[in-house]
Amino acid sequence: MVVGIIIVILVILGLIILGLVVYVIGLYNSLVSLKNNIKKAWSNIDVLLTQRSDELTKLVSTVKGYMKHESKTFTEIAKARSALLSAKTMGEKASADNMITGALKTLFAVAENYPTLKANENFNQLQTRITDIENELADRREFYNDSVNTYNIKIQTFPTLFFARMLNYGPEELFSATAEEKKDVKIEF
Amino acid sequence: MDPRLFVYSGIGLIVGIVLFIKGFLWLKQKRLIENIPTSKIRSLAMGLVEIHGDVVPFKELLTGPFSKKECVYYYYTIEEYRRSGKNSKWITIKHGEQSTPFFLKDNTGSVLINPTGAKIDAPLTTQYESGLMRDPPAAIRNFLTQQNLNFESFFGINKKMRFTEYSIPPATELYILGTAGDNPHMEETTALKGVEDVMIQHGNNDKTYFISTKNEHQLLSSLRWKTIGGIGGGFILSIGSLIVMLIYFGLF
Repeated sequence: MVVGIIIVILVILGLIILGLVVYVIGLYNSLVSLKNNIKKAWSNIDVLLTQRSDELTKLVSTVKGYMKHESKTFTEIAKARSALLSAKTMGEKASADNMITGALKTLFAVAENYPTLKANENFNQLQTRITDIENELADRREFYNDSVNTYNIKIQTFPTLFFARMLNYGPEELFSATAEEKKDVKIEF
Repeated sequence: MDPRLFVYSGIGLIVGIVLFIKGFLWLKQKRLIENIPTSKIRSLAMGLVEIHGDVVPFKELLTGPFSKKECVYYYYTIEEYRRSGKNSKWITIKHGEQSTPFFLKDNTGSVLINPTGAKIDAPLTTQYESGLMRDPPAAIRNFLTQQNLNFESFFGINKKMRFTEYSIPPATELYILGTAGDNPHMEETTALKGVEDVMIQHGNNDKTYFISTKNEHQLLSSLRWKTIGGIGGGFILSIGSLIVMLIYFGLF
């Protein structure tokens, strides 16, 4: 009888310990994969930022001949592009991205005043391409923010918060549009 | 003591341990689904992705073996009701599945899906039982002939059989967790407007490939209960079976 009870208690303890170990390993792996998801989501944004920057160079060289009196717009684009190229941190890239998005909005709005430019096939192709990239960027920003949100909730809730503290995992920043970007573009003629 | 008690408790112990392990595997799957945000199809990146959308045909569609309706995937079972002494049960005498590549379309675009190698959770579309004075429909009879199966016994009396089909017809809303990779049908698909140049498939690194007609919330809820049932049920079954086994050996 006593031997039987000891065996049962040992098996119960064994299963509980095994379960706890597997559960804890799972939690740890889950947290690490969440952190990696954020890095991957950011890399996917970065790829598009580079693509948009390349398309932007082509766009500027196409429209420059038509829009000779829009030096301010071109200066803004050049400034935003060089800010993106020299950006090292995520925050800097996000800020440069916002600048480019704003400058592009202005450029496309001003282009409406140049019918010959609007009729240029190369310009139309570039505009479509850049608009497509902008749409993809918007989706990937949303995806990035979802990844960050899932991660931030996880590291602030029980029991994952203990691991997060052990691993020194702090909250990540969301990729949000600045107040400036949310404003409508003012077109000066 | 009845030696069958030892056999049953042994089986219970093994099933309990398997359930206990399965429970943790379901928990892993649940965490994976929770951790991956849903991607929009137009902005899919390479690697493991989660998408939602409607089924759109790519090339030719399949025809369900029993329903004779068009679909992109079907799974069927043919069962026979057999009696042995006091016991009787349904025995699967044949089962099979077939799939064809299709597009998944959301409000941003479409992507080609190759369902080969996916764990597919399709809804029940047709179920028919044949038996005494009840012949199977012509579609099922034709299929049985093709498969060299007979619904009648040696004496010409109908056997009690059950024919079940699970399928995914066009326009079905699907949840997919799979790997976005190279698209071998790129020339054919990218010629179509709004179709991405990647294909969702079984990954080489990420083995997870799951297609379901349930939405994410339903899937997570089902996995939550499976996890609780698996870990909790497996634990109780193992311990219970162990106690019975110890009683059998006179140790408890």
